[in-house]
Amino acid sequence: MKQFKNLVRPYLIWSFILIVVPLFLIVLYSVTTGGNSLVNIQFTGENFKKIFEPVYMNVFIRSFKLGAITTGVCLVVGYMLAYVISRYSEKVQNILILAVTIPTWINMLLRTYAWISLLSDNGIINSLLMLLGLDPVTMMYTDFSVIIGLVCDLLPFMVIPIHTSLAKMDHSLIEAAYDLGAKPLTAFWKVTFKLSIPGVVNGTIMVFLLSISSFVIPKLLGGGQYVLIGNLIEEQFISVGDWNFGSAISMLLAVAILIMISIMKKIDPDENGGA
Amino acid sequence: MKKKIAALILCVCIAALALSGCGSSSKKTLRVYNAGEYIDKTLLTKFEKEYNCKVVYETFDSNESLYTKVMSGSKYDILIPSDYMIERLIKENFLQPVDWSLITNKDNIISDLYGRSFDPENTYSVPYFWGSVGILYDKTVVSEEDAKEGWNLLLNEKYKGDLYMYDSERDSFMIALKALGYSMNTKNYSELDEAYQWLCNQRDTMDPVYVGDDVIDNMISGNKSIAVVYSGDAAYIMSENENLAYIEPEQGTNIWCDCMVITKDCTDTELAHQFMNFMLDEENALANTEEVGYSSPVKSAFETMQEEAYKGISAYVTRVGYDKDEVFAYQETELKSYCADLWTKVKAH
Repeated sequence: MKQFKNLVRPYLIWSFILIVVPLFLIVLYSVTTGGNSLVNIQFTGENFKKIFEPVYMNVFIRSFKLGAITTGVCLVVGYMLAYVISRYSEKVQNILILAVTIPTWINMLLRTYAWISLLSDNGIINSLLMLLGLDPVTMMYTDFSVIIGLVCDLLPFMVIPIHTSLAKMDHSLIEAAYDLGAKPLTAFWKVTFKLSIPGVVNGTIMVFLLSISSFVIPKLLGGGQYVLIGNLIEEQFISVGDWNFGSAISMLLAVAILIMISIMKKIDPDENGGA
Repeated sequence: MKKKIAALILCVCIAALALSGCGSSSKKTLRVYNAGEYIDKTLLTKFEKEYNCKVVYETFDSNESLYTKVMSGSKYDILIPSDYMIERLIKENFLQPVDWSLITNKDNIISDLYGRSFDPENTYSVPYFWGSVGILYDKTVVSEEDAKEGWNLLLNEKYKGDLYMYDSERDSFMIALKALGYSMNTKNYSELDEAYQWLCNQRDTMDPVYVGDDVIDNMISGNKSIAVVYSGDAAYIMSENENLAYIEPEQGTNIWCDCMVITKDCTDTELAHQFMNFMLDEENALANTEEVGYSSPVKSAFETMQEEAYKGISAYVTRVGYDKDEVFAYQETELKSYCADLWTKVKAH
């Protein structure tokens, strides 16, 4: 056993350099001013104070709202999909799960561009509508286009954990529930759903995290005025060059996410030693 | 003991793996950093063949991101930034002077482009492309009379929800300041505040969409009828969609010039000069301007284009000598971060 411990050491050094050092730098940047070179820094709370200006608070609220909607849609659609998949024989299930992951093989940017040509004002959907004699609808650069892009991108992250939970469920439990006089809906709610909660929690956390920190999809499908936390951070680092403020936003986002994950984990019976 | 040796060997292996990416080949390399969609890429292959070298070509999406990238330690030999960014890089002592005796094609350059305010002696910069910023509009939707309003067209509520703005801090402030009749290089904070109000007002009443390079595809397929664009993009879009017209507003606009500069990191300056000279060659410049649609600094290429591919496309020919037009100047750090902050607020609302 001992030699394995030694083998782990290079990895520890590696992860220290790649994880701990950058994190430390973000913390350092967030509480200082004096430019990006870290030569003559001064400690300050200004960066955090700036976030609490109404404009930036709005960005936070908008991002969390959008994240919640995206997660909600993913949960409903993803749960139904996972449930249907889990009803098939194992062989078919494998194929169907593969089909769910196939879109992720295609580059995310490419899929987003496909949405642009579908949704734009003179795009494919609107051309079809006009052929049918209906009025065109503005879909690009709205909440709708951003949410649909996010849902399409993140759905597999919801389907797979839920499916894993559902697949390992023992079907005789449902039969037992029926035998004891439960109606289908009650049986689903009290047995199936309860047993799939670990998958639901994991899927929800994953989709929520990815959706509130995404910046490419909102930028392409929502336009430059659609600023979410991810865009705000990207802008501070890339074009504005204020790494101190950018780091402060990242810190606050990380703390907010940590709190949420710990709340979500409370719901998960596996983590609580069984419900 | 053996285990320690094993661990050591492992460490060496990992280090070797990590460093193997840095292995150098004997060929000379030139690292070029240019804006996206801003070159005829076949020219790069041609240059590699002619000078037996390798070109590492990377692109940026704005001058600001070029600055951040370069300042955070990325090394390039040749950069192609805009005027005000060149001024900043010169002031921050980041560039090497150009040896004009090595640029044998220098006589091809249009003489107007020499001696601009950001680099009066052209000590550091060799022109690459130039042009203006203007409004591209759909002639079938926007009446000529409305188009004459210039920048105020962008506040005309008849076209609410039907326009693209350019997602760039300096260009957006330029529009607002020019519309208000101020200089786009103002150092007066109350004028900037007024411009900020103008932009907020526009955002609230007009529902503009702030876009980057995706404006090109959007305007070609005619998704909206008005867009703020760079002249070269306008020329390209107009050659694909004939319903469009381009105006340089009479309130004045930004006449810009993007130039090739050599960084202090550049070691093979000979190759760098060869590259700049290569781009100014008449034939190469023609291929380049035809591909991207921006006005060439090479006289013969510029004139040929007006006769051929971009005949009758007004956006290709940039207005010269109009006294309300300006060239962007360098902003002090404090002023710059003030504007950046305002621009973030305009968008993040």
